[in-house]
Amino acid sequence: MIRNLRFLLTLFKMKLSRMMVYRLSFFGATFVDGCMFIVLILMFNAIYSQVDSIGGWSRGQATIFLGTFSLLNAISMTFYFFGVVGIPGKIKSGELDHYLTKPINPLLRLTFENIDPGSAPLIPLSIGIIAYGVSLQNMTSSPGTFILYFVFIFLMAVLFYDMQVILRTIPFFVISATSIEKLEGTVIELCMRVPGVLFKGMFKVLFYFILPYGLMATIPVQIITNSASGIMIAVSAAVVVLFTALAQWFWRFGLKHYKSAGS
Amino acid sequence: MKKYLEIAKTLFKAQIAYRFDVAMTMVFTISKILFAYILWDAVFGQNETVAGFTFPMMFSYYIISSFLYQIEMSDRVSWEVSARIRDGSFSKYMVIPVNPQRYFIAQTLGAMMFYPLFIFASTAAWVVLFRVKLVIACDTAVIAAALIMTVLGLLFMIQLNYLLGILAFRFQDISVFLMIKGNIVAFITGALVPLVLLPRGIVSVMRFFPFYYVTYLPSMLLIGRNKEEALTGIAVLAAWLLLFTILNKYAYSKFRVMYDGVGI
Repeated sequence: MIRNLRFLLTLFKMKLSRMMVYRLSFFGATFVDGCMFIVLILMFNAIYSQVDSIGGWSRGQATIFLGTFSLLNAISMTFYFFGVVGIPGKIKSGELDHYLTKPINPLLRLTFENIDPGSAPLIPLSIGIIAYGVSLQNMTSSPGTFILYFVFIFLMAVLFYDMQVILRTIPFFVISATSIEKLEGTVIELCMRVPGVLFKGMFKVLFYFILPYGLMATIPVQIITNSASGIMIAVSAAVVVLFTALAQWFWRFGLKHYKSAGS
Repeated sequence: MKKYLEIAKTLFKAQIAYRFDVAMTMVFTISKILFAYILWDAVFGQNETVAGFTFPMMFSYYIISSFLYQIEMSDRVSWEVSARIRDGSFSKYMVIPVNPQRYFIAQTLGAMMFYPLFIFASTAAWVVLFRVKLVIACDTAVIAAALIMTVLGLLFMIQLNYLLGILAFRFQDISVFLMIKGNIVAFITGALVPLVLLPRGIVSVMRFFPFYYVTYLPSMLLIGRNKEEALTGIAVLAAWLLLFTILNKYAYSKFRVMYDGVGI
């Protein structure tokens, strides 16, 4: 464990020195994603200027939803996204060999080798959006509720990671990942604009249990606004456990099919 | 003119090689339509009308604006121009006997011409699937005005993206700026929500800028609203187009001397 932590610290130092070479784009991800979430807030404000609620959700809940999605995105961008996103390229080029032959867990290294401190300002920005949503909601929540909210933020960040790993492990079998990344981008774009409570029927099944992006920000918001049922909280936790196991299994299964050759 | 027509034809034919991309573009038209359907179905579940829209009218707006947004592929101009400046391959456009701006306009139009039929087919399929009654204007003059505005809007967006692309002569890496631009343009062209939902003062200011006329106004015209703005819209957009033609010419002649012709 300590050995792994020391290894991660070394990776972080190396990444930081690489990033300092391109100082102008250091905070690039923060600017791009910060701007995207501000645009989404403007979009919801425009809708809420005409109506009081969307599917029973108030402006405060929708704002907390956007802040929560932004927070999950910020955690992903800061810690693992830029590492995981490189997996298909490394499979395609055969560069994955360098990771498999080193005396460290290859997925651990791939995940954390591109920690992006330039995305970190998105975390306080997202917390600011959540705080603004909480003030709009004018609600009273116990400290226990807030703790459960942050526990679920952690779980959903793990689920977000699991989905990224699963989708980027598919290139072990199909080589090209372009359409998979397009699919992921499209589903995320949809689920960050539509609170999960609005999905009905087959869409609910699809975005809660098959591509569970609809679950990620919705459940924490329901927890913090005291509108989540015990069953739904338990089911969400089970989905996280299931997808974590699936991601690990799928990664190992993919490795067995790795051709170890540039193509 | 003939050589630019050839460039457009070549790019049109080149799209045939990317059949999978075309198929994915068709499938992913559902994203914006599904977003509109789920979100506005929930909104109209509790309200009969919103900002003068009924649900079929709102859904029609999203169908049309999504179609216009999808066929507007000028984004590739800024990415390609800036990438070629960075890697040094822009030199080719300086030595061949073409005007780079016209070259990229022809190239983008050629690629754009390939997609509308496919995007239209997939959009029509989603409309049938969602069983929503489309609201479409019947006035031919209004439809003609919307079509002219759409073409001017496409040309304007190509000009804008070309200008952003050649900024790479000066700033080298403009990718962050281009990504931010993508988010902002989606909002101010009305691709995310109809601009009529914004405060009246902001909409009044937006009428002086071209983005209002790229997606939003043609979509509104095609659902039978804002007819009185049609002629003004064409005039404003044409003025911006002219301004950007001059601006691009000036920017290119000013910045091209900063190009060293090697990869950065």
